Amino acid sequence: MPEPVAREPAPARASAGNDQNQPGSSGPGRGPGALSARLPAVPPMPLRAARGAAARGGPGGAAAWLAAHRDPIAKVAAVAVFLAAWQASGAFLNPLFVSTPGKVVSALGTLVGNGQLPAAFLRSLLEMLGGLVVAAVAGIGIGLLMGRVRLAERALEPIVAFGNATPSIALLPVMEVWFGIGTAARVAFIAVICTWPLLVNTYAGVQAVRGRYRDIGAAFGFGGWQQTWKIYLPGTVPFIFVGIRIALAVGAVGMILGGQEIGQSGLGGLTADFGSYSETADLVATIVTTTALAMLLFAAFRRLQHWRFPWIAATSAGRRESLGRRGWPGRGATGRRGSP
Amino acid sequence: MTDDRQAAMRGGAPAPIVTETFDAAPGRGAMLEYAGICKTFPGAGRTVVALHQVTFTVRRGEFLSLVGPSGCGKTTLLRITNGLEVADEGTLALEGSVLSGGSQDMAYVFQDINLLPWRSVVKNVELGLEARRVPKAERRERAMGVLELVGLADVANAPPYTLSGGMQQRVGVARALAVQPKVLLMDEPFGQLDNFTREALQVDIAELWEKLGTTIVFVTHDVDEAIFLSDRIALFLPDPGRLTEIIDVDLPRPRTGYDVRAHRHAIELRSYIVDHLGVGARRPR
Repeated sequence: MPEPVAREPAPARASAGNDQNQPGSSGPGRGPGALSARLPAVPPMPLRAARGAAARGGPGGAAAWLAAHRDPIAKVAAVAVFLAAWQASGAFLNPLFVSTPGKVVSALGTLVGNGQLPAAFLRSLLEMLGGLVVAAVAGIGIGLLMGRVRLAERALEPIVAFGNATPSIALLPVMEVWFGIGTAARVAFIAVICTWPLLVNTYAGVQAVRGRYRDIGAAFGFGGWQQTWKIYLPGTVPFIFVGIRIALAVGAVGMILGGQEIGQSGLGGLTADFGSYSETADLVATIVTTTALAMLLFAAFRRLQHWRFPWIAATSAGRRESLGRRGWPGRGATGRRGSP
Repeated sequence: MTDDRQAAMRGGAPAPIVTETFDAAPGRGAMLEYAGICKTFPGAGRTVVALHQVTFTVRRGEFLSLVGPSGCGKTTLLRITNGLEVADEGTLALEGSVLSGGSQDMAYVFQDINLLPWRSVVKNVELGLEARRVPKAERRERAMGVLELVGLADVANAPPYTLSGGMQQRVGVARALAVQPKVLLMDEPFGQLDNFTREALQVDIAELWEKLGTTIVFVTHDVDEAIFLSDRIALFLPDPGRLTEIIDVDLPRPRTGYDVRAHRHAIELRSYIVDHLGVGARRPR
């Protein structure tokens, strides 16, 4: 019998609400009619309010607060434990190997104060952005070309496969030879290693767009160029953003590696410098700054995507939403209870 | 059809195409003339004959449905009509002139709607006008006019993914109508919609057709939908995909869902068509 199962929670709620309502609703007989008379008078709100009141004043208040903020508490606690253990380890370990958070903070203050860290940060950021721009133009351009022109696809396929498989670090000396030891070589190195993920993802994106929107361009009478600009390029943007995310990750590696190996410049140069003199606190302060730079770039591109291309997130969310409307996660749960 | 006749037509000679006798109906010239259309899809192990010698005429201003079970070539025929596929043999003429690879005078409504999510509703409707290089101001004006027609002017600037499925397909219809086509090609346009939305859109498209007088070729596997909408229904059967018969739908217009579906003639037609096509016609893909 499905119906009693479906109603099961209702009597529980009824009794909870009933404790409050009983003085007012004093029925003379609690016969079979009493239950049905009670049912409409049981909105879910009093129950929740009662629970909230208990949480505020009752003995369970602290536990309830903890339960409600479990996730942020866990995050803060884990970081605090880590920092405390690190700080404590300074008492036992050689400061040459492990600095302490306290020393790192003071080193950070000194390096920011004397301008060394901000200058290196700016230099690395600009080199990174320069490399990314070159990589974006080359990667997206060649990816589109390969996706749209059959001859270009055939001709460039082996070169792309070869370049994509080449370990990027091997190219570092090549950049030095070509561009000399300086900014140009560092930017070129970042550009070269960032080009491949952008190229490959753009190329894959064009193929995905072809599968989905090919007929549109043809049916509405667009020429080849118009299809490329109006359908393939915008349709490929979600893939380009995937490419950008990968490019940022490999580009950050290239940025530090280039700074360490091609001359000594920017944040990479500082890490090499501090490392060779075993200035551990300064080294860690520089690494933290590098991480901050990378996170800043990730956040900036994520913001750009949500700001300029809201449809990317919206259309994937829309698909989930349409699943929900058919009643799988939400309404399905209440429906399922009555029909096992 | 003989080989030399086909050769003559491929050469562009305006040979008269005789199909069914009722094509000679007064006041209704030929809009589209299909002659000996053949299309084969070579596959691994099995070659599919999608269309075999399809010859018929679509009259000016009529609503013609292509009905048949899956694999009977009806969608392939529609795609050939718009140049999305190329026929292996045979010719297609629009208002007497033989086409090769589609025409700006036709527009297509897709089953999977295919609105571009990075464009607003009105920019989607402008798509065909951009391809035809209509100036910007006129583009916007015409797109808004068509959106007005389908009752969606108030969501012109919304992104398409915020619309319901039914509204999205209205935009799909508006996008096709914006280019003011002589022939509107619709490929199971309501196939993905729920029943209520589908019936609402059927009534809407019937009203639009009566208002605009556009010739519509409509592919469906829903027999009731075809009866409700059509002047004539072309029946297709698979293996090989072929046109077997064109039947007239002699039901009064304007039609509403209830009176047509309960009409005696509609019921007779329905059972005739279902018998003719077999139960496969009612089975979903």
